[in-house]
Amino acid sequence: MTVPAPADPHVSADRGNLAAYLLLTPAIVWMTLFLVVPMAMIVYVSFWTQTTFKIEPKLTLDSWQTFFASDTYLNSLWTTLRIWLIVLTTTFVIGYPTALYVGLFVRNKTLQTALLVLCVIPFWTSFLIRVLAWRPMLGKEGAINIILMKAGLIHQPIEALLFTDLSVVIGMTQIYVVFMVGPIAFMLGRIDPNILEAARDLGADFWRILRKIIFPLSLPGVVVGAIFVSVMVLGEFATSAALSGRKVNLLGNIIVTQVGSLKWALASVVGVILTIIMGLVIAGLLRVVDLKKEL
Amino acid sequence: MVVSNDAVLRLEGLTKRFSGRPALSEVSFVVRGKEYVSLLGPSGSGKTTLLRAIAGFETPDAGSIILDGVEVTRQPAHKRGIGFVFQNFALFPHLSVFDNVAFGLRNRANPAPEDVVSKNVRETIDLVGLKGLEQRGVHQISGGQKQRVALARTLVIKPKLVLLDEPLGALDANLRQRMRTELRRIREALDIPFLHVTGSETEALSMGDRLIVLDAGRVGQFGKPSDVYNLPATANVARFLNGYNVFDGRLEGEAFATKYGRFGFGAKTAAPTGAYAIRYDRVSVKTPDAVGPAMLAANYVASEYLGSAIVHFFETADGKIVEVEHHLSFGPPETFDPGRAYDLSWNSQDGIAFG
Repeated sequence: MTVPAPADPHVSADRGNLAAYLLLTPAIVWMTLFLVVPMAMIVYVSFWTQTTFKIEPKLTLDSWQTFFASDTYLNSLWTTLRIWLIVLTTTFVIGYPTALYVGLFVRNKTLQTALLVLCVIPFWTSFLIRVLAWRPMLGKEGAINIILMKAGLIHQPIEALLFTDLSVVIGMTQIYVVFMVGPIAFMLGRIDPNILEAARDLGADFWRILRKIIFPLSLPGVVVGAIFVSVMVLGEFATSAALSGRKVNLLGNIIVTQVGSLKWALASVVGVILTIIMGLVIAGLLRVVDLKKEL
Repeated sequence: MVVSNDAVLRLEGLTKRFSGRPALSEVSFVVRGKEYVSLLGPSGSGKTTLLRAIAGFETPDAGSIILDGVEVTRQPAHKRGIGFVFQNFALFPHLSVFDNVAFGLRNRANPAPEDVVSKNVRETIDLVGLKGLEQRGVHQISGGQKQRVALARTLVIKPKLVLLDEPLGALDANLRQRMRTELRRIREALDIPFLHVTGSETEALSMGDRLIVLDAGRVGQFGKPSDVYNLPATANVARFLNGYNVFDGRLEGEAFATKYGRFGFGAKTAAPTGAYAIRYDRVSVKTPDAVGPAMLAANYVASEYLGSAIVHFFETADGKIVEVEHHLSFGPPETFDPGRAYDLSWNSQDGIAFG
């Protein structure tokens, strides 16, 4: 009887590695061409020399100095961060209870799916319509003011509703709250109902269970939702343009304006700053929870 | 019974329906302090519903649950002080072993101070044999250890009663055997009753000081395991014990008429429908030279070796399986030819008639 030769582990490992590289190639090529190269290009262009009519690849810090020396640009940086934090908070405050209801209290899977689809229905209309529809709602002679006046609750229309920070926050919250609801509802739906009963049996009331069991177990969903909302809000320009009457200028709006007047170098500076902020935000959120372990 | 206030749990006419279909009908029984009660029932008999109603996870439609003399039927689960051990353990996945066990003490209406928590948790962890695993995550321990965490988590809050829902169902056979002994040891170290639900008759018989057999939402029988096993109160109880051949038929004076013949019996119980039960290990295969009446003719099918005993399966002409258990301490097993007809016999005094 002959003993079968053991397979050479190196040979099979090499073959496995080769297959893995082959599978990765399309993604790597794609990401390199359309993500890494353009990003490197933007960083590069931000140091180019910009004159009124043309831009040339002569390296200079001029555009960076322009950005940090200008109150307008710095203000838009603070505005972006402020709006982002407010919208992150409102989407969480509105989204978490909604997700709690859909993911935990609705135990019928069909109804659960139906409710989540309901959250997505606004996306069946175009982004611009969704944003612009807020104007007749919030305006001085808009629906909300008319209803409040007819009800006798106010005598003068509330002008602060439209073309302010508030209207931008309302518009963005409405659009992005669903990105908070989805991931949280998903995590909540995975909680074994026996765990909640066990907690109840051990003497914990609903609020205790919410704080000690439900919230920690849904945290990965909160982090994923927060990343979605953050990335989208930080890059926003359309909602603020449509609902603030150009009073709220986000970094996104600056980029649009600069590109519109062919100021590529300054637009690149703002782009780099925005990318760094997003990177920091995502890195910070990922420190809250180990997603690799949870998903 | 010495005194009536020895009753820890008293159920009176507990009834629960799910969309019109009764899951529990008029369930009444009393569990006393310091006893291990096992609750046996096939799937669908309502045993889990009963346990969940006692714990407060289901609201009964009628009847009452009295715990330590206080009616708790409408009380929410977290105010009852009843421990519940889930079949799938239901450990808190984000907490360590220590924090799982400490959960109840820290999160009840008036949380215990942390030094008390620490002391009680360590004591309970010692009691269930988990010492040294306190800081492990609950994903890093074995099935048997998870079972112990689930038990410790419940015991640490000093419940008035512990309910166990098929607690050994998720463990492998070896471990199940060990945990049976462990559960009894832990129960004896405490002054509270355990109510242990199971679908396994061997588990129910071996663990309980007393045994409740649940049959289609009703208490079929409640008594000492040996009493239940020796004299089942209904034909269904005999079936669930998985130790009796049960034949349909009707009572005719001093004999019980089945389509296989008329059988004598030693015990009789009144019942709406007729049935006749004879224990597997009371039936023997008649050898050609044996005396006494042949009771039943059946063809040999197969045998199953159980280590200490062997079970022979016979089939009557109309397809009814009759089991014969031969304990190997009574001698080596006989061999039979598959497909051949044999005469089965038993002492008619061992038969139980219902009707």
